[in-house]
Amino acid sequence: MLGLEIEAVAVRYPDLAAPALELPRLSVAPGESLAVTGPSGAGKSTFINVIAGLERATEGAIRWNGEDIGGLSEAARDRWRARNVGLVMQDFHLFPGLSAIENVLLPARFRHLRLPDGLRERAAALLASVHVDAGERRIGTFSRGEMQRVAIARALLSRPGVIVADEPTASLDTESARAVATLLTGLARETGTTLIVVSHDPRLSDRLGRRITLVGGRCADDAADVAPGRRQ
Amino acid sequence: MIRFILADLRLHAVGVLVIVLLIACSTALGMAVRMEERALRLGSARAADRFDLVVGAAGSETQLVLSSVFLQAAPLPLVSGKVLKALAEDERVEFAAPVGFGDSFLGHPLVGTTAEFVESLGLAEGADPFGTPGEAIVGAGVPLEAGYEIRPMHGLPSQEAGEHEGVVYRVAGRLAPTSTPWDRAILVPIEGVWQAHEHGGEEDGDDGHGHEAHGGEAHDDHARDRLGPPWPEDVRGVPAIIVKPRTIANAYQLRGDYRTETTLAVFPGEVLTRLYSTLGDARRVLTVIALGTQALAAAAVLLVAMAHLAQRRRQIGALRAFGAPRLAVFGVVWSELLLIVGAGVALGVALGYAGAKALALVLGRQSGMSLPVTLEPSDLAFAAALLAVAAVIAVAPAIWAYRQSPAAALRG
Repeated sequence: MLGLEIEAVAVRYPDLAAPALELPRLSVAPGESLAVTGPSGAGKSTFINVIAGLERATEGAIRWNGEDIGGLSEAARDRWRARNVGLVMQDFHLFPGLSAIENVLLPARFRHLRLPDGLRERAAALLASVHVDAGERRIGTFSRGEMQRVAIARALLSRPGVIVADEPTASLDTESARAVATLLTGLARETGTTLIVVSHDPRLSDRLGRRITLVGGRCADDAADVAPGRRQ
Repeated sequence: MIRFILADLRLHAVGVLVIVLLIACSTALGMAVRMEERALRLGSARAADRFDLVVGAAGSETQLVLSSVFLQAAPLPLVSGKVLKALAEDERVEFAAPVGFGDSFLGHPLVGTTAEFVESLGLAEGADPFGTPGEAIVGAGVPLEAGYEIRPMHGLPSQEAGEHEGVVYRVAGRLAPTSTPWDRAILVPIEGVWQAHEHGGEEDGDDGHGHEAHGGEAHDDHARDRLGPPWPEDVRGVPAIIVKPRTIANAYQLRGDYRTETTLAVFPGEVLTRLYSTLGDARRVLTVIALGTQALAAAAVLLVAMAHLAQRRRQIGALRAFGAPRLAVFGVVWSELLLIVGAGVALGVALGYAGAKALALVLGRQSGMSLPVTLEPSDLAFAAALLAVAAVIAVAPAIWAYRQSPAAALRG
């Protein structure tokens, strides 16, 4: 379980006068679930990139359980991310030439010469828990809803302390979006994993315990217990 | 990682195949040029090995060697019979065999010579060659059975002009394979060649030298009851004499003695060396052309690789985002390229070898000379050098991939 402490963070780009993101202070408790909303260009993607260590903040500290990932080298951030962050993206980023289980295992294969014992079984169990049959079918033949569920299984493989999802339901039909929203929140709650989701989809964001709204790179609204009934 | 590379290659199988073939063809061209040139050198050197010294009338050294050693028929000036007799009786000479051309049978040149020379080439079938004037010994590559009757056509194989009346040879033996153009020849007693040309009105010789091939006064070849040396005083002129000196020192003495105003003496090896330098020039030109195609292939591969990578930019970003180390990304791109180039080069070596072999077979069938196409360590070193260059070039796209920021790649 990871808790996030953001302190005086700003992200500036050379060609922009205003900072893309400016957060004086934000904390997310371990196990908390947070929805991030806001109009496009509000800095949501920058927020995701910065907290997942994909991008370095221009200034400020991003502490996960006290460790400032801004101070890590690029290779160290890659390692930290592989160990601690489960990423779910709008476009899945699955590899079309591989089967579902190989896609789930792919990040691990890049980290280990030989897969650790039991990881394949864990991948198969995860696929079962997201209701995807782990046959030899190549991922290219899957529906979009199935693909996103495979992506969730992949995000959970290394037992991350936090799941970071960027518009996970935006490219799905209503039925698939509902299934993905249920799985994502349900699995995070079951495992006690911190969940941070950028989403415009109220069916997903309403299930999360807390919502912040970004406007122009700043936090415009921070509301806990938007849907207390959903919080357990 | 290997799984990932293989899956990606499978996904783009057609494109990969085209690139592999492109690399294979350009590699094959370079390999074939190297192998063929070496085969030609080796084959001709082997063919010339059996001929220590060739004596002919003054004229072109190259023509003399091409005609006598490689049986590339061309009208040669005749060297006087006195030279033949003198050489045959010289103490420094083991044997001096006249070589007379002019006739052919079914595309095989008829070469008049002596029993000594036939024996020096080695017999696979038959014994005591040229016991009678009507005997013929065929080269290892001539498809005629013993006892077959040969009615030669007048003229060179390429310009068969008409049958000689009355001249008939019977196949009495077969030479051991020599892997030289002599494998395609039909050897007959030189006296037969002289005699045949008494009937014809044609001149093989160069009148300027005043030595006539045939015609003119009658010769008493018929009167002699035996063939070959010792030659009579009025023995006829011949286009070339193949001399086997007793020692190396003798060879050099003879070569000096017979380099006169009217005669020419050459070691085939020295003429070949001159020909090789021409061959070497041709090889250099072909090598440059082959290198040019290899450079073009490399440029094409690099272009395709960069285009392919630009398409995969998001995928590469995703690999990083999901935790693949940067070095792994570098490794994927680099080894995938090297795998493609490696397959291409390996296929190219095989194609080049097969191509050179096929060409050598065709050339060999035409000339009778065997061209030994071999795959030498230096060829593999050449292939390895190509691969090494590819490995260096492949670093460029791999570094490009390595330097991609995952966030930028995902956004783009």
